Amino acid sequence: MSLSLSSADALVLALPKGRILSEVRPLLGLAGIEPEAAFDDPESRLLRFATNIPNLSLIRVRSFDVATFVAFGAAHLGVAGNDVLMEFDYPEIYAPLDLRIGRCRLAVAEPEDMVEGDDPARWSHVRVATKYPEITRRHFAARGVQAECIKLNGAMELAPTLGLCRRIVDLVSSGATLKANGLVEIEHIADISSRLIVNRAALKTRPDDLTGWIERFRMATDAL
Amino acid sequence: MNAPKSIALLPTGLHDLLPPDAAHEAAMIERLMATFAAHGYDRVKPPLIEFEDSLLAGPGVATAQQTFRLMDPVSQRMMGVRGDITLQVARIATSRLTNVARPLRLSYAGQVLRVKGSQLRPERQFAQAGVELIGSAEPAADTEMVLLAAEALNGLGVRRLSIDLTVPTLVTTLCLVSGLDAARTAALRAAADRRDADAVAAVGGAAAALVIKLMAASGPAARALPLLAALDLPGEAANAERSRLAEVVRRVAAVDPTLQLTIDPVEHRSFEYQTGVSFTLFAHGVSGELGRGGRYRAGYDDPDGDPSTGFTLYLDTVLEAAPGPALARRVFLPLGVATAAGVRLRSEGWITIAALGAVDDPAAEARRLGCGYVLLDGVPVSAEQ
Repeated sequence: MSLSLSSADALVLALPKGRILSEVRPLLGLAGIEPEAAFDDPESRLLRFATNIPNLSLIRVRSFDVATFVAFGAAHLGVAGNDVLMEFDYPEIYAPLDLRIGRCRLAVAEPEDMVEGDDPARWSHVRVATKYPEITRRHFAARGVQAECIKLNGAMELAPTLGLCRRIVDLVSSGATLKANGLVEIEHIADISSRLIVNRAALKTRPDDLTGWIERFRMATDAL
Repeated sequence: MNAPKSIALLPTGLHDLLPPDAAHEAAMIERLMATFAAHGYDRVKPPLIEFEDSLLAGPGVATAQQTFRLMDPVSQRMMGVRGDITLQVARIATSRLTNVARPLRLSYAGQVLRVKGSQLRPERQFAQAGVELIGSAEPAADTEMVLLAAEALNGLGVRRLSIDLTVPTLVTTLCLVSGLDAARTAALRAAADRRDADAVAAVGGAAAALVIKLMAASGPAARALPLLAALDLPGEAANAERSRLAEVVRRVAAVDPTLQLTIDPVEHRSFEYQTGVSFTLFAHGVSGELGRGGRYRAGYDDPDGDPSTGFTLYLDTVLEAAPGPALARRVFLPLGVATAAGVRLRSEGWITIAALGAVDDPAAEARRLGCGYVLLDGVPVSAEQ
């Protein structure tokens, strides 16, 4: 299979690496997309993959980068959690379909021993370690609390134990990681799931192509 | 620290336009203005800076966050640098030109400055060119705007244009009729802006079902208009807006059946002061908007103000969509070429670059100076190797 690089009618679907990818994979098959063999090989160094659809190729990037690629029109379609969409709030991204995968929640957590004496109503300022500084700032500002965010890219749970700060805002699915690190979820910010996202200008200029793909993914999601 | 800074560094979002792009932009603006003029639009030129309270009055308040302010040392009043020209032209139409016969057709081109760029347009200064058609509520006026925008862009060589039509007031009207409060309306708007049907269902209350159906009634006009027509919209206003949209699409398609028209009844972002049929211009393969336009009411403080419509084109995106500058016909005149030969070439449209001294290899010198041609024996010949 060959890549139809940079042809005017090429379509690019951006997928997030890691945890979500294994959940998206069955949807691809149901939507009629068969990527080339290298796509399923975790050792492959390829970043862009051809598919059985002549003008459609896949790219595999970090979850935050999926939104960036789609917002700037470098990819036409993508799969991104609404945590990423809330963080960036790109006006150029439409999220027409909830794929109902990658479900988890975004929450505020703090050490167990702090919870008892803590009255959130008295806060005027909090210091929070998070991968989501924008969401965190907005969430606390809405109730009149100024959030000072320490941006981390992973292992948030370490921050309170090592004294970097006392609270974190992070994705929680089972809560096991929090528990193992002596943390308790104290506030729920949002329910998260993965969305099919499309670039606004691509949807406007190629409505038939793009709505066709949205419908195929809708059917795949319903079939799953 | 007093580290020497490069004098070449410009503030974020500002840049120098160099040859051949500067001349190209100017030429493109002139071609747009010529198209507008041929349709009877007379050019006006509002100032770069106005008093803040007139620049930001009425619908101008939508541009308040994007406006640079400065203090006028003479009048001691705050002034604002324009971030958009449309409202200035509307101001001219309803003040100094209030006694001129309607419909009034005006055009403009100029630079605007904004406090912050957006993700897709990091430029803080860019050129706008557009028209305003003031004093007509007819569907023919809405149609004229769409067709003129298409003609002007086609004239610049922009291909595969796609025009997205909307009525930005539709969702607002539905929220009002459904009795949603301001907070819920805002939440519904945010969900609809992402075309996220699940979120709309979650926050939309009584209006949710209809807004979801509106979202589904978008796409190519031929497919989406019947869906939109089949919806049971509450209230006279919403029904009137819908039939106006259908009417304009029908008229545009009748004149230019090749034009790709899409409709999107929930689009409203950046249409804050529009009151009727509005549109956004896209081109295949270009990620930004080429321009936008729509119906509004000139004379913001007057409910009987002139019904108006217009559109504005963003030159930075338009230039991205249009073919680049044609190679200039530049010819190098080696030393000793007769003055008359230069005069003749320039009258034929050549750009002549005269040698200031003798050179060994005129063709090489021509290439060094960016000339595609060199004059040999009175004839321009290619300077390519």
